[in-house]
Amino acid sequence: MKAFGRVYLCLLIFFLYLPIGVMIAMGFNASPYYQLPFEFSTRWWHELWQNAELLEAGKNSVIVAIIVTLIATPIGTAAAVALHRREFPGRNFLRVMLLPPIAIPWLITGTAMLVMFYWSGIGRGFHAMLIGHVALAIPYVVLVVSTGLQTIRQDLEEAAMSLGATPLFAFFRVTLPLLTPSIIGAALFAFAVSLDQFVISYFLATPGYTTLPVKIYSAIRKGFTPDINIISTVLLLASMALVLIYFIFSKFGAKDVRR
Amino acid sequence: MKLSRRAMVQLMGGTVLATTLLGPRRALAATKITVLNWQGYGTDEKWALEAFTAATGIEVVHDYFNSEAEMITKLATNPGAYDVVLINSARIAQAAGQGLIQPVDFAKIPNAAGLAPKLKDHDNMQYEGETFGCAWVWGMNGLGVRDGKTDPDSYAALADPAWAGKVALFDDAVTAVGLGALATGQDMNDPKDLEAVKGFLQSVRPNLHNLWTSEDQWNKAFAANEFDLSVAWSGGVVRSFRNGGLPVHFVVPKEGAIGWLDGLAVPTTAPDVDAAHAFINYMIDPDFYFRWATEVGAPASANVDAVAKLPEDDLMKQVHKAEYIDTMSIMSALPDARRDTFNALWQEMKAYYAAK
Amino acid sequence: MSAGPATTAPALNMGGRRLPPWVATTALLLPAYGWLLIAIFLPLGAMFLFSFMTATPIGNKEIGYTIDQYKIFFTQPYMWQVASWTFQIAFATTLICAITGFLAALALARSGLGRSQWIFLILILLPFWTNGLVRIFSWTMVIREGGFLDAVVQFILPEAASVGFLYSRPGIVLGLVHGYLPYMVLTCYIAISTIDDAIVEAAESLGARWWTILGRILIPMAAPGLIAGSVLIFVPVVGAFMEPRILGGPQGVTLGTVIEDSFTQGFNWPQGAALSFMLLAVVLAIFATFSGVLRRNAEL
Repeated sequence: MKAFGRVYLCLLIFFLYLPIGVMIAMGFNASPYYQLPFEFSTRWWHELWQNAELLEAGKNSVIVAIIVTLIATPIGTAAAVALHRREFPGRNFLRVMLLPPIAIPWLITGTAMLVMFYWSGIGRGFHAMLIGHVALAIPYVVLVVSTGLQTIRQDLEEAAMSLGATPLFAFFRVTLPLLTPSIIGAALFAFAVSLDQFVISYFLATPGYTTLPVKIYSAIRKGFTPDINIISTVLLLASMALVLIYFIFSKFGAKDVRR
Repeated sequence: MKLSRRAMVQLMGGTVLATTLLGPRRALAATKITVLNWQGYGTDEKWALEAFTAATGIEVVHDYFNSEAEMITKLATNPGAYDVVLINSARIAQAAGQGLIQPVDFAKIPNAAGLAPKLKDHDNMQYEGETFGCAWVWGMNGLGVRDGKTDPDSYAALADPAWAGKVALFDDAVTAVGLGALATGQDMNDPKDLEAVKGFLQSVRPNLHNLWTSEDQWNKAFAANEFDLSVAWSGGVVRSFRNGGLPVHFVVPKEGAIGWLDGLAVPTTAPDVDAAHAFINYMIDPDFYFRWATEVGAPASANVDAVAKLPEDDLMKQVHKAEYIDTMSIMSALPDARRDTFNALWQEMKAYYAAK
Repeated sequence: MSAGPATTAPALNMGGRRLPPWVATTALLLPAYGWLLIAIFLPLGAMFLFSFMTATPIGNKEIGYTIDQYKIFFTQPYMWQVASWTFQIAFATTLICAITGFLAALALARSGLGRSQWIFLILILLPFWTNGLVRIFSWTMVIREGGFLDAVVQFILPEAASVGFLYSRPGIVLGLVHGYLPYMVLTCYIAISTIDDAIVEAAESLGARWWTILGRILIPMAAPGLIAGSVLIFVPVVGAFMEPRILGGPQGVTLGTVIEDSFTQGFNWPQGAALSFMLLAVVLAIFATFSGVLRRNAEL
């Protein structure tokens, strides 16, 4: 049974990385159009290092995604806690209101933001882009953290309180540690939402400021070249290395599993 | 875990301050202009901008759009942000009518002397008797054919069983309806018999392999041998052949190609009108065009002098014959109702293709 | 979304002063919903208004009000078919994600991986950080006729016919499953990882078969994760347009592509907005029905 589970996971990971493998391979293919037969070339690596704008765009995307994650995660977590641990009228309504930002295609939300920000004087620029990205990330954070809250037994917190802990203390010492995996998962999603978000950036950022998805999506009309694959590969490997190093060297997760 | 109210207020004040500081930064230098265009469409060639800045001291930054509707939206919601905008001549009347762009001052564009009169004074460029766009480049949507296949002489080939499963269409309502109109002998800008257009487009279904929306998608699919015959952009075909070595050439069938004309315009709220005109002047400069056309692959310049500079055997020049300027029909402004009709018709056709 | 058990909120003790409970609740909710109000609800409210207009409210045209855009399903009958394809794709995607994602979460939590389950989880989530469009284009390389999939099949069976399925609805579903599966894996994992081993062991020692354990313990306890994952997948997939366009080719006509076309090609915001809000209404109706059913089952 356990062996079966491991084989299944490996197959799943193979499936998930199949197109990523293609993406990496095409970064080393001479043809700009992914043309086969495969002909090895480091041409696109050289093109990338020449392309200061693309490198800048890659850096900008990561910075924006980090800021968005740092803002959206605590805000969304707080809302999730209120939605699941506190009784108040209109709770279900507020839960339902998380759906429109996910359901309405980004293009429509982006256009609406552009128009509304223009009318309301918020305008355009880095701040406007951040407002938009965080707003789109919040529902994902709330939904993921809510899942965690629903599965954590609330009586633990109540037990702590009956032993004299203040509610705040009980929350921070009992619930929050159990919630950590959910919060980290939510943060990873917030990061992903921002990292792949192009409509908002491209409607709301200052002209001249660009992020990687914006570069990619506005390049397809006339064609994008495999240096895009290379920078995506570099970003992926870098994040993979960072995350793995973090998990290998930190004690994180140990407590949770030994439980 | 105690948070005093004062600390809270300070924290929030800090956030507000940070937001203000990060707010929109207006360009302070008068010599910086912003151009709104498709990405990778001539105005943002790195070498060109460097040469332009070196010659004039004017720095150029870009903002991009992915559809003409977005271009209009961005112009309307960002007054004062753009100095130059690329605009398909079919959209000039709309933009001028909405007060988004101003008349072009040809006195500030010396290179305009070389513009083909037919293009410079084209009806599309005019609004209420004034010229609102400077003709820049033109091209055609015709047929891209794989080398080694027999060249079709008519759009009827798209529905010919000889090309079964090897046809691709451009996913664009105006082009698709224009194609159907030309194939059925009608005015592509105002076909009267839409049922005939529908009938032609429906007859393509057995042959249809793909619908493409971008040059990138076209290149990747063509490189993978997905189709042999396709509605294609003249400039795109030249680029695919020249830059990627794809075995493709451009064919104008006997019904004629769907011509289009792109212009450069100055928004009404442009912060630096003079610099904008200087940039437009540079964009129709023969030396700039020579490099763009021969090294990158461009559509045809509206500037006769610029085209004359190219060697006779240049592919771009062979594809975009000068006589087409007189003979081809150019996509023109469509009244809203007709545009809606075209879009609805194409949407219905796509649903018909998808039902296969 | 099912309601978790909530007790009457006790008063929060903040800075030595007792505050009424609604103050704390508001303080927790205000940042998120205030942010959403400014950045999402107000703009979407404006869009809702636009959906009743006769033309896109940009420029100086006369704008009238009409509900014509909401009649599109009657004026353009083919839209019923488009809607049906869209929901088929969305249901198939959600269902496949639910099954594979639930099993993945189960395998992660119960394969005795110890701490390395975190590494597996991260490996599953990381492809999410690459650009969606690049991933979709890469899929076209795999599933097209004569692509990698064909190459592998023909390596094993040299005479085999092409198994390529680019430009078909299964192709779209594949791309969507790949793009959205990590949501389901994570939400199910969060739910399953809190299940106490002792419960499962107790059931086993009492002679429960695996399907009983699965149906009576694991699935009900994973329900919040399955529900949250389905929301995070079904809801955006209904409006997706990139995957249908690139992987679906001529078959890739969905409500998402029609909406996108009316914004980009048509410059017809009222039509695109009206369709978006009809889509939203259907999605909300589906979840109202489903969450009711699921909640009742979860209580069994």
